[in-house]
Amino acid sequence: MHPGIIFFLVILGSVLFHIFTPWYWTDIASNWGGMDDTITLTFWVGGGVFVAVCLFMTYCVFKFSYKENRKAEYKPEDKKLEKILTWATTLGVIALLAPGLIIWNQYVTVPKNALEVDVMAWQWGWQYRLPGKDGKLGTTQVININDENPFGINLDDPYGKDDVMIQSDAINLENNRPVKILLRSVDVLHNWYVPQFRAKMDAVPGVVTFYWFEPNKTGEYEVLCAEYCGVGHYAMRGSVLVQNEQDYATWLGEQETFSDLIAKQQDLVIGDTKLAQK
Amino acid sequence: MSDPKIEGLQLKPGFRGMADDTGSDQTMFKGVHWGKAMMWIFLLSDTFVFSCFLISYMKGRGSTLVDWPYPSEVFALHVGGVSVPLLLIAIMTFVLITSSGTMALAVKYGYEKNRKMCGWLVLATALGGLTFVGMQAFEWSKLIEEGVRPWENPFGAAQFGSFFFMITGFHGTHVSIGVIFLFIYAYKVFAGHYENGGKRGWFTTMKGDYVEIEILGLYWHFVDLVWVFIFAFFYLW
Amino acid sequence: MSDEYDNNKTYQAQSSETMGGSAPASPDMDYVRPAEIPDQELYHGHSFITKWVFCQDAKVIGVQYFLTAVFTGVVGLILSWLMRLQLGFPGAAGFMTAEHYYQFVTMHGMIMVVYFLTALFLGGFGNYLIPLMVGARDMVFPYVNMISFWMFFIAVAVLMASFFVPGGPTGAGWTLYPPQTILPGTPGAGMGILLMLVSLSLFVIGFTMGGLNYLITILQARTRGMTLMRMPLTVWGIFTATVLAMLAFPALLVSAIMMTLDKILGTSFFMPTIIQAGEVLDYGGGSPILFQHLFWFFGHPEVYIVALPAFGIVSDLISVHSRKNIFGYRMMVWAIVGIGALSFFVWAHHMYVSGMNPWFGFFFATTTLIIAVPTAMKVYNWILTLWRGNIRLNTVMLWCLGFIVTFVNGGITGIFLGNVSVDVPLSDTYFVIAHFHMVMGIAPLMVIMGAVYHWFPLVSGKFLDEKLGKWHFWFTFLGAYSIYFPMHYLGFIGVPRRYFEMYDSPYMTSAVGMNEFISMAAFIVGAAQFILIYNIIKTLKVGKKAGHNPWKANSLEWLTSTVPPEHGNFGERLPVVHRWPYDFSVPGAKEDYITQTTPPSEVVHTEVEKT
Ligand code: HEM
Ligand SMILES: [Cu+2]
Ligand SMILES: [Cu+2]
Repeated sequence: MHPGIIFFLVILGSVLFHIFTPWYWTDIASNWGGMDDTITLTFWVGGGVFVAVCLFMTYCVFKFSYKENRKAEYKPEDKKLEKILTWATTLGVIALLAPGLIIWNQYVTVPKNALEVDVMAWQWGWQYRLPGKDGKLGTTQVININDENPFGINLDDPYGKDDVMIQSDAINLENNRPVKILLRSVDVLHNWYVPQFRAKMDAVPGVVTFYWFEPNKTGEYEVLCAEYCGVGHYAMRGSVLVQNEQDYATWLGEQETFSDLIAKQQDLVIGDTKLAQK
Repeated sequence: MSDPKIEGLQLKPGFRGMADDTGSDQTMFKGVHWGKAMMWIFLLSDTFVFSCFLISYMKGRGSTLVDWPYPSEVFALHVGGVSVPLLLIAIMTFVLITSSGTMALAVKYGYEKNRKMCGWLVLATALGGLTFVGMQAFEWSKLIEEGVRPWENPFGAAQFGSFFFMITGFHGTHVSIGVIFLFIYAYKVFAGHYENGGKRGWFTTMKGDYVEIEILGLYWHFVDLVWVFIFAFFYLW
Repeated sequence: MSDEYDNNKTYQAQSSETMGGSAPASPDMDYVRPAEIPDQELYHGHSFITKWVFCQDAKVIGVQYFLTAVFTGVVGLILSWLMRLQLGFPGAAGFMTAEHYYQFVTMHGMIMVVYFLTALFLGGFGNYLIPLMVGARDMVFPYVNMISFWMFFIAVAVLMASFFVPGGPTGAGWTLYPPQTILPGTPGAGMGILLMLVSLSLFVIGFTMGGLNYLITILQARTRGMTLMRMPLTVWGIFTATVLAMLAFPALLVSAIMMTLDKILGTSFFMPTIIQAGEVLDYGGGSPILFQHLFWFFGHPEVYIVALPAFGIVSDLISVHSRKNIFGYRMMVWAIVGIGALSFFVWAHHMYVSGMNPWFGFFFATTTLIIAVPTAMKVYNWILTLWRGNIRLNTVMLWCLGFIVTFVNGGITGIFLGNVSVDVPLSDTYFVIAHFHMVMGIAPLMVIMGAVYHWFPLVSGKFLDEKLGKWHFWFTFLGAYSIYFPMHYLGFIGVPRRYFEMYDSPYMTSAVGMNEFISMAAFIVGAAQFILIYNIIKTLKVGKKAGHNPWKANSLEWLTSTVPPEHGNFGERLPVVHRWPYDFSVPGAKEDYITQTTPPSEVVHTEVEKT
């Protein structure tokens, strides 16, 4: 068989695979449809270039394969052609870059009304903290973390007292309300990633990183760790439940706050001392 | 090898001529000894090493949780009961810069084929370097005595000790290697390896030439120059 | 050779000599400027040890580098088999734990990038080809060159030793990100990571010695008439890659030193305050992201260190086997140099979601996509070289075509990943794995294979078997393409990389079949490499003799006094170069090639363009 035929089949196969693939992105459940659109655009432009280049190559292979008595063309340079190609490529690249940058700009500009969610990661698990009635999260420090203060909230920070604490790898979010994910880690790098939301960012110990999205489809989604963090990396999962406003409010009302926890602990201590006195 | 005249090449004026000259056959740097070109490129690479160190230092110093110590206090020397800031460093820097001077003279006498002077000056440079390393060892032991360690530091941020020992240590290693080579080359000069067409090197077929002193000099000046930066970053900032 | 160059004259005498050819047409037109440098004297080994072990001949050193790198490559290949076994058929390899998997991922990645590809292209092809192609007798510092190889050898030994220390090799991922790299919880966080860091440092030191040699040989030891713009693109690619390496490896060295100190002295360069298993560690105040900047300041140029030599070599192979000059030579040179320079300004495109200041994203996305332009120009020029050529569809050419397909494919997916916001959903997924395997794993591998088939007749004097070669090609190309093309779609689904077990979420179980298929393909591709080994053994025994310049190429490596070239390469007289290496199919010429040493007076009736 002529090699050109096989190359042609490879290109054809790639295109067909792309059209008929059963494996493609999971249904989007956030506002980042623009990322999908840019991917689609890049597929059209890039895929077009790939197909064009490879078909041209295949054509040459058919047309110009070796013949004893033929001589190749002698043409070291073609300034004009090179110029056209350079500019065409530059234009194509700009066309792809522009939407990319516009969406990135949205990605790093968090809307004012976004709900802040503190996502705390460790080897190997997640827990979450939501602001209480004051709408603000208390400040934290890694060295404060202990059994009584699982999030390491600074005790002298008044904002921290009413923070809602979710000591579980599952969290609920309200549909159609932007959330600002504040990531922190107490040990190594992690990354809180939900494929359906499209967004991700590393959690880096020592600093607080962030990103935002707006869930727009109710349902339960799986959280994956997307930054290698040691042997338990592949097992470091969590879940998100996106609910409508009422369900979310009900759920939120059932959660424990930091002051609840402190009170409970004090009860325990008092109980202990009473026991000791007896 | 130092004749810059190039026969048979009519250079066009301006940029084209420069490009043609740069790209012309055989050598890019006309008349430049292979070893010398090599040393320049090595030093360029080494510049990147030290730049990486110093940029990391700037970043590290900028982001520590604890305050950075005051260099004028940490590096002060007590002379007769008075604390003189940066005294030792001033002397160290002076010695090192002076050794660059003797090195430059050695190169000059080398090219004049003045074996004696060249040899003595290389030796003087080596001794200057040795003095520097000695004083650095003294400074290290003083800091260690005061409790500064790579992992901790009673005066402030632990990173101070980490960066200080790492970067001055890395530079000190450069100086020490230089000193060893200076001694070897002093011997080679005195032994006349560069006279009468030169003696072949120990492992190579290349013949000795006083240009080797210049190459060593390049390294030595570089090490001094780096010291100036380290001095500025650690002691003056 | 119509040249009066006399090696026995002294340097001074040479420079005053008047030139002239023996060809009658016009002595003037063959004028080449007199010698600027004296002929190099070589140290000829006599014993077995000085000839084959501690040898100072760049060609032998090149082969030594090549064989050592291939050895590491085989180790990397076996590790990839084990990983694919786990991914396609979880639990099939009974001993495979998550620890092992991560150790294999790490060692596979590091070996393939640094010890296999870098060493092979620069140490292997660089050593063998540079002196031959620029018309030098050897590298300028043969002794340093020899040390360079042995440093590399020790680095490999240290790396391999880490398989046998307590705790095993490091399992931190080839990116070695702190803090996890040196903390328990990551496999091999004890001796394993230390040996890795030591090995990398040795590699850098060894490479610096070699790199200085390559650079000075190219800059200062070319033969007469070999201007920069007459050098084969192979030399340009290796040259630029070496410059990149000289400036990028320092960042690796520095980060390795700092991490070693963090590990053994307890400094906190990269280590913030950490609580592990309820205990506060003795670290604090360091910056993990600083390491990432240092690492990728090395890491991004590193991918071009692998790619640029491949670009150069493939250009030469395509040109020779299409019997046509490389299209747009000058553009090609500037593209190589431009890509090399730009590659120092794009490193943070690996860190879009690393938590660095998000505003960097704009800058690095722009620089990254700018690189796409010169890269695309190179691709156009390769296919335009095929256009109206006279293409020999032999094994070498097949590898080149395979390279074009895989490289363009991987280049396009690179545009996805470089374009910040598109990278957000795709980074750290199998899309990345598929992308970089295609563009810097498979594509350069295609070039290496093509180069092996192309230069084997030079190194051994015999042709590799074409039939076996074609089988080897089709298995490798089709197999590798079917590994990595579908793998992109795993990334779209959202499967993260470095996952020991694929996910059992409903939307991911659909990928089980694909994973089995990919693994099968990986086994076949790996096994197909044994065809090459068999081919080499067979050829060495009963292969067809190649003779002088069997491909009718123009460049100097084919114009040596003997085949394979002896120590000193060119016999008594160094060649004198009169033209670029791409004068193929010149109108009016008797043959379809004019070697670089052919003086103009011998081809007066042709229409060569002046170069
Ligand atoms: C047919 C040959 C190959 C196969 C089957 C293969 C397979 C794999 C697999 C399964 C992984 C791990 C993916 C994961 O779990 O994240 C991997 C990672 C990797 N491979 Fe390959 N590979 C091959 C060749 C190469 C080559 C030639 C290179 C050279 C560039 C390379 C470079 C890497 C790198 C850098 C990683 C990342 C390691 C890490 O995540 O730390 N591989 N490969
Ligand atoms: Cu993880
Ligand atoms: Cu990169």
